[in-house]
Amino acid sequence: MATSKSDMKGFFKQKKKSGGITKAKAKSSSTKKSLSPKRSATYGSDITQPAALISHGSPDIEDDYDEKEEVLRQFDMNMAYGPCLGMSRLARWERAKSLGMNPPEDIGHLLKAGKVGAECLWEGRV
Amino acid sequence: METEDSSSENGLLHRKQALYSSLDSCFVIQKEMYRGQQYSQIYFARLHLMRTLLYSLLPNWKPHIQVCTVIGLEEGKECIIVGTLYKHMKLKPSILEEYSKERSATPLVRPHNFMHPDDHLILEDESGRIKVCGDVLLPSVYVTGVVVALHGKETGTGDFWVEDVMEGGLPHQIERPIKSGEDKYVIFVSGLDIGSSTSNPLKFQLLVDHITGHLGDKKEQSIAAKIVRVIIAGNSVEIPRGLLNGQNLGSKDQFTLFEPIKELDIQLTQIAAGIPVDIMPGPNDPANFSLPQQPLHRCLFPSSSAYNTFRSCPNPHLFQLDDVSLLGTSGQNIDDLEKYSDANDKLEFLERTLRWRHVAPTAPNTLGCYPFTDRDPFFVETCPHVYFVGNQEKYETRLIKGAEGQIVRLICIPRFSETGVAVVVILWMQL
Repeated sequence: MATSKSDMKGFFKQKKKSGGITKAKAKSSSTKKSLSPKRSATYGSDITQPAALISHGSPDIEDDYDEKEEVLRQFDMNMAYGPCLGMSRLARWERAKSLGMNPPEDIGHLLKAGKVGAECLWEGRV
Repeated sequence: METEDSSSENGLLHRKQALYSSLDSCFVIQKEMYRGQQYSQIYFARLHLMRTLLYSLLPNWKPHIQVCTVIGLEEGKECIIVGTLYKHMKLKPSILEEYSKERSATPLVRPHNFMHPDDHLILEDESGRIKVCGDVLLPSVYVTGVVVALHGKETGTGDFWVEDVMEGGLPHQIERPIKSGEDKYVIFVSGLDIGSSTSNPLKFQLLVDHITGHLGDKKEQSIAAKIVRVIIAGNSVEIPRGLLNGQNLGSKDQFTLFEPIKELDIQLTQIAAGIPVDIMPGPNDPANFSLPQQPLHRCLFPSSSAYNTFRSCPNPHLFQLDDVSLLGTSGQNIDDLEKYSDANDKLEFLERTLRWRHVAPTAPNTLGCYPFTDRDPFFVETCPHVYFVGNQEKYETRLIKGAEGQIVRLICIPRFSETGVAVVVILWMQL
């Protein structure tokens, strides 16, 4: 449609040209949820853990995934000690010990201390 | 040989006694708790136990060949791999096939033996599996669940060509001290099938009278006095299963159901009153289905369990009598081997299980088994002196010898209700 020149400016959003470099707006952290780096795996999105599909395993977001858990997960994944599903971690460690496989003692102490996950990585999720 | 005269001064015969110790603790499920585990755990335990054993035997067998895992195989390179055998069987009944073909509750009629010329073996360990070919490892001999060491090489087609095979072999046997003098007899009987149409109560009564010394003259009684123990190896009763149709039983039906067990209890009381008796559960007995079958409950035998000579044992049963170690089952393991492999006679199956060092290799594949997590109780640790199996067609026996000088007496105990035959084993060193 023919428009007069004077109306062009009405169509296009004019950028305000300031003299210098526009300063980027600093995101104020107070408006966002304070997220620790641990939970950055699912930051901002709950598509990976839709609430309805979680049966009785706990969602990732609430897991205490520290380095102790990492060590225990490596123990779960170690093929030398056999399958990890269907046994508690301590039972699997005890079995490895009784079969003479010499599992690392500190994993045994960690499991017996009791403040870590007793069941294997896949428990309740498979 | 100096025979000890067992008759004492006042004419009373004393029964011989033997020192009994039961080694059944590995078969009794006491502290196990089912946590939803699968059978991968028992297979892992079995593989680990056998692999440790086979690795220790490898230096004596082929010390210069390298050992590797299935995933580490290189084409054309000669090596030794250790793993669990899986036999792929064309005719093996599969629940999925049955369901898809015919949706009925009654099982389809099946052949007794599921072997087929196209069966082949696959070796599997934690890292992978590979098809095994060659003439050395015959699919008709081996079954799923046996752990072996194979010497060979990988072929171009991705199969493993076997040149030689090593099994666990007979385990170490504890030496029996040479005894002289006293003969001690052990009676083995199985398949009494009390309550069935084929069992004759007079036959069993005759056996009981003979064992307890109520038959014959002084000479017969002195033979009976040498019997130290009676082992009943399964299938003692036959419950009229036709009554069990899913509905509540009336009191008359309940009475009929329990009749065979009551009759067995009466007979066992007669035996237990004079001689120690071990009773093992069998496939038809009121015990759990999967191996190891737990001992029959004491409440089934109200009068015989009052005697301390009465002992209810699990199946399989491992015990010692005066330094003689005896191991045996009620027949499920050998019957299952018969369905999935081939041999000249039942004793050959028995010998194979001992050389494979596993009482029931087909468990849990085709034989019901409890899903143990930390152990495999069917692994044979020490070689028994007597190895028996119950509920077979006929009586057979053989003596086999091991590489280290082990000597084992293999016994097939026939079904008493059909044959009327019980087996007497003389616990005396044969030189």
